Amino acid sequence: MTEKSYRDAIRDAMMEEMDRDPNVLIMGEDIGVYEGTFRITAGMLKKYGPKRVIDTPIAEAGMVGTAVGMAMLGLRPIVEMMTMNFAIVAADQILNHAAKVRYFSGGQVDVPVVIRGPQGAGVQLSAQHSQTFESFYAHFPGLKVVAPATPADAKGLLKTAIRGRDPVIFLESAALYGMKGEVPDDAGFTVPFGVSRVARQGSDVTIVSYSRMLQMSLIAAEKLSEEGIECEVIDLRTLRPLDLNPACKSVSKTHRCVVVQEQWKPFGAAAEIAASITETVFDELDAPVARVTGEDVPMPYARNLEVLATPHEKHVIAAVKKVMYANG
Amino acid sequence: MADVIMPKMGDAMTEGKVVRWYKKSGDAVKKGEPLLEIETDKVNLDLEAEQDGTLGNMAVEAGQMMEVGGVLATILGAGEKQAPAASSAKAEPPGPARRAIDKKDSIKKTTGEYAEAIDMKAPRIDRTASAATAAGPQEDGGRRRSSPLARKMAREMGVSLEQLKGSGPGGRIVANDVKNFKPAPLAPQKTKAPSLPPIQKLETKDIPLTAMRRTIAKRLAESTGPIPHFYLTADYDVTNLLSLREQLNEIEGIRTSVNDFIVRAAALALRHHPNVNASWGDEAITQHGEIHIGIAVSTPEGLITPVVRNADQKSVVEISSDIRSLADKAKNRKLTPNDYQGSTFTISNLGAWGIEQFTAIINPPNVAILAIGAATAQPVVIDHQVVVRDRMKITMSCDHRVVDGALGAEYLRTLRSYLEQPVRLVL
Repeated sequence: MTEKSYRDAIRDAMMEEMDRDPNVLIMGEDIGVYEGTFRITAGMLKKYGPKRVIDTPIAEAGMVGTAVGMAMLGLRPIVEMMTMNFAIVAADQILNHAAKVRYFSGGQVDVPVVIRGPQGAGVQLSAQHSQTFESFYAHFPGLKVVAPATPADAKGLLKTAIRGRDPVIFLESAALYGMKGEVPDDAGFTVPFGVSRVARQGSDVTIVSYSRMLQMSLIAAEKLSEEGIECEVIDLRTLRPLDLNPACKSVSKTHRCVVVQEQWKPFGAAAEIAASITETVFDELDAPVARVTGEDVPMPYARNLEVLATPHEKHVIAAVKKVMYANG
Repeated sequence: MADVIMPKMGDAMTEGKVVRWYKKSGDAVKKGEPLLEIETDKVNLDLEAEQDGTLGNMAVEAGQMMEVGGVLATILGAGEKQAPAASSAKAEPPGPARRAIDKKDSIKKTTGEYAEAIDMKAPRIDRTASAATAAGPQEDGGRRRSSPLARKMAREMGVSLEQLKGSGPGGRIVANDVKNFKPAPLAPQKTKAPSLPPIQKLETKDIPLTAMRRTIAKRLAESTGPIPHFYLTADYDVTNLLSLREQLNEIEGIRTSVNDFIVRAAALALRHHPNVNASWGDEAITQHGEIHIGIAVSTPEGLITPVVRNADQKSVVEISSDIRSLADKAKNRKLTPNDYQGSTFTISNLGAWGIEQFTAIINPPNVAILAIGAATAQPVVIDHQVVVRDRMKITMSCDHRVVDGALGAEYLRTLRSYLEQPVRLVL
């Protein structure tokens, strides 16, 4: 184990896989000479050369289209989006091609492409560049959607993504790039898709989350612990496939559930998660599953407003108390 | 009572105008008779009475509008009065709720120019959030709001939601409410007991055998022997009786047995059913004017049934002392014929031997005998709750020539009113 940042864990995953498999390559805007806007790809051009670390024009649809073609013919491209917001330009390539080629080809052709990049609020990137896309992509069959909350998971899940047969949307939290954590050194270390984990044990309320909101939920859980309320926190890790077994098992114990997501409430991931939990363990619930979400507005640039528009610990704490009927 | 309602005569119709009333308040109306003429956007028509009665509570005058579904008047049935103060909104001149509608006003509202007014008068209902808080707990027989977990726990604990108070939003019953629920102490089961018959003079009399009774007797006797027996078993809750006995025995010098209470209960029940306190004869069934209860007592020599005379007129304590002295005499072989002859009904109790239920053979010339089992603590469901109660099974053997099934069952039911409300035994 070595303590690594979320950023370095992602780079390690890519470099280990590029070392392991010559078919793995990476392409994106400013990833080579400039070494990446978030410096994820630092040193990679030097090590692997311009054939495997490809600087592209500002043309996301072209990047993804190229990558889909490469993947269909046997390569394993990674496409770095400067932020996931730019991938909207490539939505047709992602949703109508990457996600559907295997289906259209009757299972003959796989598209093992990884589309990765930062998303989310908290770093003052304003309305167009602070969005999160998990509910958008997880809606579509044919895609895998990954949203790691720790450096170790970022590394293990990215390696699984690169080695797999499917197009993967790999959503990194921009606000977590600097976060440090213990990461296994073993080059064979991977984290499978569709296996949620219990990030914190507790008996009173189950909090279900992923990515940055998972970290925020853990902080809220510590504060609640000081008040004698013990939260069990579930890290979903991947939204497609979605593993709600640990969450449902936990709710059967705590009988109360709060789902935390960063972005807008309507039709968000939390809605899907809450509904599925309700369907599965209806008889165990002592209160409606609560959702903690961002405000229903485009993300403001001003720091004070950005703070008001994103969920914070106090929202989680209030939601936990609400489902415990503890607010009087 | 029936309301006369402004009908909806088309999808677009929201209100109608009263053109004229054919009747006035207090007029008698017949079903089908026209009451008033209404005018809608499309048609004029008469509204007819839906039942016979008296017209009242007229809410709208001729020329005024009424919204669809609004109550125009009420038809009162015979003996019904006009709704007084509390519900007299109906009888009063149109108030805000049923205010005559100004057409221009309603058009303005739909243009949005009076958006604020719409909010004021018809606040938007948030059907997800306020459903629970606005309506509050429904305790008047409506569905109780409750969390799924609370319902599951209540099911498992055998607690009915009706017994619970909800502490959650809108009165929602939550898990804690079920967990903290303490059942109220059980009130004795309220079965309406027949009142004691007036202490009338019982008389000895012969009831001539009817042809039917002869046939019943003959056929039943032919089928099962000299006395055609049948058996009825009832299960009694004697928790209260046992507790009463305990209280009584706390009084110095009193030592009663459960059987003493049963003897008194059986004797009192016979007063309600003198045809059980009877004997079969070839020409007549004799109903006895006195109630003498034979008590089966085992002695080394065998069974004997000394008699508590006029048991219905003796207190439990007197019965107790009678039985004790008779039993002593029996053991010492000092019973005289006067002590063991002339019973009109018999009780055999094997409860002390731990027998829960048995059948006894009728002691002729009686026509019935009670076989008393042991009182045992049993789980019982009362008001959807499992509670522990003391139960006792009593089996009545009947002579079918005299006592038919329904009569025996009635006797056992009367007996229940004494055994389960034992306070009546000390009256």
